[in-house]
Amino acid sequence: MNVKSEASRNFSRRGFLGLTAAAAAVPLLAACGGGSSSSSGAGGAIKFWDMPWGTPAYNDAAKKIAESYVPTGSDGKASYQIIQWNNFYQTFSSAIASKTGPAVSTGGGFQAFQFEQQGQIAYADKVIDALKKNGQFDDFLPGVLEPFKTDKGYVSVPWQLDMRPLWYRKSLFDQAGVAVPTDWPSLLEAGKKLKSIGAVGFATGSGAGNNIGNHLMIMMMINNGGGVFTKDGQLDVMNERNVEAIEFLLELVSNGVVDPAAVSYTTDNLDAQWKNKKAAFGMYVLGLPQRVGDTSGDLLVASPMAGPHGDKAALVFPNNIMMYKNTPSQESSEAFLTYYMGQLKELWRQKLMNGLPVFKSITELPEFAGDPNNVKIVKEYQPIAKTFAAQGTSLNANLAVLDGGQALNQFTQTILTGKTDAKTALTAFKTGLESVIKK
Amino acid sequence: MSSTTAQSGLARARRGLAPGGPGGGSHHRTGELNRKSKLSGQTRRTFFWLLLPSIVLLILINGYPLIYAGVQATHDGSLIDTGNFVGVDNFATVLSSPAFWKAAQFTLWFTIVGVFGSWLVGLGLALLLRTRIPAGGTFKVLLLLPWVVPIVVSSTAWNWLVATPDSLIPSIFRNLGLGTPLFLADPHLAAVMVMVFKVWVSFPFMMMMISAALASVDTTVYEAASMDGASKWQQFTQITLPMIARSTYISWILMTIFCVNDFPTIYLLTGGGPVDATTSLVVLAYRSVFQDFQTGPGVAIAFLMTLTLVVVSVFLYRQIRKSSVE
Repeated sequence: MNVKSEASRNFSRRGFLGLTAAAAAVPLLAACGGGSSSSSGAGGAIKFWDMPWGTPAYNDAAKKIAESYVPTGSDGKASYQIIQWNNFYQTFSSAIASKTGPAVSTGGGFQAFQFEQQGQIAYADKVIDALKKNGQFDDFLPGVLEPFKTDKGYVSVPWQLDMRPLWYRKSLFDQAGVAVPTDWPSLLEAGKKLKSIGAVGFATGSGAGNNIGNHLMIMMMINNGGGVFTKDGQLDVMNERNVEAIEFLLELVSNGVVDPAAVSYTTDNLDAQWKNKKAAFGMYVLGLPQRVGDTSGDLLVASPMAGPHGDKAALVFPNNIMMYKNTPSQESSEAFLTYYMGQLKELWRQKLMNGLPVFKSITELPEFAGDPNNVKIVKEYQPIAKTFAAQGTSLNANLAVLDGGQALNQFTQTILTGKTDAKTALTAFKTGLESVIKK
Repeated sequence: MSSTTAQSGLARARRGLAPGGPGGGSHHRTGELNRKSKLSGQTRRTFFWLLLPSIVLLILINGYPLIYAGVQATHDGSLIDTGNFVGVDNFATVLSSPAFWKAAQFTLWFTIVGVFGSWLVGLGLALLLRTRIPAGGTFKVLLLLPWVVPIVVSSTAWNWLVATPDSLIPSIFRNLGLGTPLFLADPHLAAVMVMVFKVWVSFPFMMMMISAALASVDTTVYEAASMDGASKWQQFTQITLPMIARSTYISWILMTIFCVNDFPTIYLLTGGGPVDATTSLVVLAYRSVFQDFQTGPGVAIAFLMTLTLVVVSVFLYRQIRKSSVE
C-alpha cells in the first residue's frame, strides 16, 4: 500500500508531460518571441517612434513637436510613440518584420545601419538636400554628418551627440593635493595619491547592464591613436597602440587606481561613487552633476588627456533619426524629418536633453552655454571625438555587435579583474569579434 | 520498545492513512476506462468542438513560435530575415563552443544548488512553522516576501548589500577581520552569490509546497508512531519524508525548470559576469540573439535547453510514479 493523496493519483502522465513541455518551452518562446509591436496610427500618418532620451518631460515635449507638425499638400500628419529601451531592438525588429513599424524613429546608435543591412532603411539624401536648402546643413557641427554617409547615401541624420567626457571631483583633488591629470603618467600618479585618501582615481564599471567599462576600453585605445578597426573598416585589434593602451589600463588596475570591484559595478553603483564623493576622476556620461544631484560646481569636466605619443581623442556616439521603407509615403517621411530637425532647438531651450546638440546654433543658446561643462565639452571634446569605428570614420552594422556584444564585455571584465596580460586579452577579444562580425 | 517494533508501528501508521483502501488506485483507473468507453460519438464530437478554441489558441500561442524557433535554429538569418537554410550547423557551432559548455556547467550547478538549497531551507522552515511558535502567521507572511517581491527590487537590494567594498556585508566581514570579499567582482564568489540569491528567492515556494503537503498529514500518525516508540528522527525520515515525497518530486521538477529558465535572477545581479562566471544557458541564448545578433545559434541553445529539461522532467516524473508504487 502506498501513501498518496487523491490529487496526486489524478495527476496523469499525459497531463504532466503537457505541463512539462509547456514550461520547458519557455526559453524557446522567449528566444523567438517578438516584442510588442504597434499597429496604431491613423491611415497615412507618419509613425514616429522615439526613445526616453531624458525625463518624461522630454518625451512630452518631443510628442508636442511631432504632433504640431502641419503637413503641406498630400503629406501625412505624424503620430508619436515612446519605445522603452528594454529589448528595444526586439521591439523594432518584430514591428518591422510584421510591417507595423515606424516610418521615422530615433533608436540605438547603430540601429540604422543594422536595419540598412537588412534592406529596411530609406536613405536620407533628400532630407540632407532639404537641410541644405533651409540652411541647417551649414549649421551642423564639424564632422557629425560624415559617419552616416555610405556609398548608397545617408543612412540616417544625426540629431544629438552622446559624448563620453572625463569628469573630476575638484574637492577630492584639493584634498589629495594633486593636479587634475593631463596625460597618462599624471593619471597614474594622481590615482595613487587619490587612493591614499580613499578615493577612486579612475572610476569605471562593467557590471550588469553597464557599458561604461566597455566604452572606456575603446576610448583609451583611440586616445592613444589606436582603435578596433583600420581606416577602411577592417578589424585591427592587435595594433601596437591598442596593446599599449591596455597595458596602461592593467597598470592602473594593478596599482588600485581602478576600483578592484569595478568589474561588477552597475551604473547605479557608479552614480553612488560619484555622488558619495568616492570617485575622483573617470570617463562618464554627459550631465553627471544633474544625474547624481550635485550641481554645486564640484563635479567638473576635465580636459582630454594626451596619450604617451601625444594623441588626444574622445569617444562619441552620434545618435540619429532614421527613416524606414515601410512608410505611407516616403515624401511625407522626409518632410516630417526635415520639420523635426528644425524644431530640435526647443528641446535644448527647455533643458530637456542630456546629449550635445549637433547644430552650432543650439550650442550658442544661453540655456546650453550657461553650463561651463557643456561649453568645455563642445570646445575641447567635440572636435577630437571619434566613434567606435575608429580608426575609420564610417559607421556600420558591425559596431552594434561591438558595442553591446559579448566579446567586448568579456574583454573589459577580463581587464578590470587584472588577471591577464594585454596581448592575451586582446587576442581573445579579436577571436570573439571575428566569430560574430559579418565580413 | 525495539527498533523492529517501531518500524512496524510506523508501517502500520502509514497504512492506516492510505486513501481508498487496498486496491483503491486500480479501481479508480478501471472506472475511468469504463467511463471513456461509454462516451458516445456525439458526446465526443461535442467535447471536440468545446476544446477546439483552446486547441487553436494553444497552437497560435505556443505552436507557431515553437515552429518558427525551429526555422530560426536551422537558418542563418536575423530577427527580421529568416536567412539561408544551414541544417544543423547552428547546433554544431553551439556544441563546439567552450562558452556553451561553460554555461552548461554553471547552469547545472545553479540548478542543483537552487533546487536542493531552496528545498532544504523550505523544508526546515515549513517544519518550524508547523510547530506552535509565537506570531507564526506573521512569520509565514514575512517568509513569503522573497518570492513575492519583484525580482528587480530584490536584485537591486542584494546588489546594494554586496556589490562594493563599502556595502553592508563586505563591511561586516571587514569589521570581523575577515578581509573585504568582493562578492560580485570575484568570479567564484559571484557564482556562489548568484546561487545563494536564487535559494533566497525560491525557498518560499518550496516552503509553501511542503507546508501544503504537511498539512494533509494526519497528526495521529505521529501520535501512533510515538506510542510505538519511534524517535523524532525516525518519524521525520519514515513518516514525514515519505508523506511529502510526491509533493517533493513535483516541487523539484518545477524548481528545476525555474532554475534552468531563470534569466532575471542572474542577469539583474551580475549580467552573467564577471568574465562569464555566472553565464547560464538562458543568459547565453539571450546574449547570442540580442547582443551578438546571432539568432540561429541563440535559438539552438534554447532548443538544447528545452530538450534537456524534458529529459530531466520525464526522469523525475518516473521517480514520482516509482514512489507511488512503493
